[in-house]
Amino acid sequence: MRRWLVIAVGVAALGALSGGAAYEHAVPRPGDWQEIAWPFPRDGWPAGKAFRCGVAACGGGLELYVRPKMGFCNCDRGVADDDEVDRVADLDLLSAHFAPLALGQVVRLADMPGRIRAYDLKMSGGLRHTAIGLAVSRRCDLLVAVAHGSGDTPEMRHAALDFLATSEMTRWMTAAMEGR
Amino acid sequence: MSGRLKLAASFSIVFLAGSGIACAQQQVVGAPPEALNMKLVGTSDLQARSAYQPTIHHQGDRWIAYIGHHGGSDDIPAPVNPQTGKAEPNGTSIVDVTDPSQPRYLRHLPGQEGKYEAGGAQMVRICDGKALPKGDRNAVYMLRTFGGEAHEIWNVADPANPVLITRIAGLKDTHKNWWECDTGIAFLVSGAPDWRTRRMTQIYDLSDPAHPQKIRDFGLPGQEPGSTGAVPTELHGPISTGPSGNRIYFGYGTNKGGFLQIVDREKLLNGPREPTADNLRIPEISRLAMSAFNGAHTTFPMLGMPIAEFAKDKDGKTRDIVMIVDEAILNECNEPRQMVWFADVTVENRPMMISNYTVPEASGSFCERGGRFGAHSSNESMAQVYYKKMAFISFFNAGVRALDIRDPYHPTEVGYFIPAITAATDKRCVKIDGKDRCKVAIQTNNVETDERGYVYIVDRANTGLHILELTGPARAVAGIQ
Repeated sequence: MRRWLVIAVGVAALGALSGGAAYEHAVPRPGDWQEIAWPFPRDGWPAGKAFRCGVAACGGGLELYVRPKMGFCNCDRGVADDDEVDRVADLDLLSAHFAPLALGQVVRLADMPGRIRAYDLKMSGGLRHTAIGLAVSRRCDLLVAVAHGSGDTPEMRHAALDFLATSEMTRWMTAAMEGR
Repeated sequence: MSGRLKLAASFSIVFLAGSGIACAQQQVVGAPPEALNMKLVGTSDLQARSAYQPTIHHQGDRWIAYIGHHGGSDDIPAPVNPQTGKAEPNGTSIVDVTDPSQPRYLRHLPGQEGKYEAGGAQMVRICDGKALPKGDRNAVYMLRTFGGEAHEIWNVADPANPVLITRIAGLKDTHKNWWECDTGIAFLVSGAPDWRTRRMTQIYDLSDPAHPQKIRDFGLPGQEPGSTGAVPTELHGPISTGPSGNRIYFGYGTNKGGFLQIVDREKLLNGPREPTADNLRIPEISRLAMSAFNGAHTTFPMLGMPIAEFAKDKDGKTRDIVMIVDEAILNECNEPRQMVWFADVTVENRPMMISNYTVPEASGSFCERGGRFGAHSSNESMAQVYYKKMAFISFFNAGVRALDIRDPYHPTEVGYFIPAITAATDKRCVKIDGKDRCKVAIQTNNVETDERGYVYIVDRANTGLHILELTGPARAVAGIQ
């Protein structure tokens, strides 16, 4: 009976520890994100900001790219559906081959409405990654972000959204949307 | 004068001189238009509605201008129609321009409620019933968009009293259609609900406008329903050369990552219709990828142009040219320059850009004037008076520009006209430190010509219609007496 009690306490302690560790992975602190150089060649829109969150804080490691796209024509409806996210969220910078994992969801970022959606990415060399694409809009302008990594999808989504919601990123996004 | 006073005076002079220079670029109500080799003949205020496509039709012994409108503005979502006394959502203006010096406003046909590109009835094309294979010989048909939700066909035989014939609805967007009057085949720029793009092509047989027959949907592989991965940029509009030319030139991209797509019309109409990636590839002859900085609003074909410089060459004396016009989208030059490009498509699978044209910004300090500066569209009439000789380009705050294109390897500007603003001209704003800073400037949006040689320009910022004619050397280029 006593042995069983010890085992039960041990299992509970391990569970608490691993749960804590999982929570640590799910919610990296803003300081866990390091800004890196924009890694893509020049395209139709100016470069934005790029960040990396390491394996220790973000599970399988995570990279996030965010930039405004000024002059998006769908001025009145905004990011109206998931197809819009597929089209504009910069997933094609990572790979031309991606497929949605589920229907998207409504999201709000820097006081702008839009949608967020998870994708399976086929990277060069056959590697599979998960990506989180999001697009929000204000009038005729868009702000898009895409995060990708090999970790757990809900954790990646949580980590990316938490970081984008920090006051520092909100300030930057607001300024960028105003052309500053 | 003390040193400080001198310094203050010097600063004041510099400031006043600087603001004087800036003000000199601003248009003011009451100032004359700016022009070279183009002259104003007549105007219509179009009820101060934001205008897009004008189409001029010779109808019996009359000349009628059908003008599509964008939706209303934030300030005036539905301007009052003085003819009815009612506020009406922007739709289609019908104007008798038989005497271009005295345009007579016949009718405003309301469009979809909504502001800017979300409402109105931007696009309009006209075919005579007697030209269509199965049309009513007494009818004149107007194909127009109804905001983003439908295409409509009206009988405008009596242009003051249009009658609705049919409606193709249930769309998520529409735009710049093309309608072949001799066959009735229409290439409708639509947003089919299940496609992954806002704008693609729906091909209809409208030879009997009362009974539209759908032929197929068309777009770029990756846009079709059920596809995954990157989605190619959306369609802006096609221009067909009909059965004789057997080519359709599709313009994609508006102001970013554009394509000219050359398509075999016969294969498009009669090929397998199921919208699979493979089936969408079958009719494509080639694509010319543009810079990521530019898109294709208008793709205007001018096939078999004799090039004087190549006259003594054993091969390649004539060239097939497509003029590609980008669309500027952002106010006050907040994007790469949108301009005009000429592509030599003689060797169809190796199309190549050969020249370009833009208005020199410094010639009018156009980046400071307010509103958009850059190309938007060209005239699309293939009437002999100007075809392959002159092109007219709407350039927003730089008005309309007349180009001598007889040598498309070296297009040359020979005239321009920038209308004066009026009290109706709407403001255009940019964000400065989070606040709107607005200016008022002409926004010449679209342009068309008629067989008589008149040039019709319309304004996106509510200034109305201006009817122009060429003068001096520009007239000589076109060979007009």
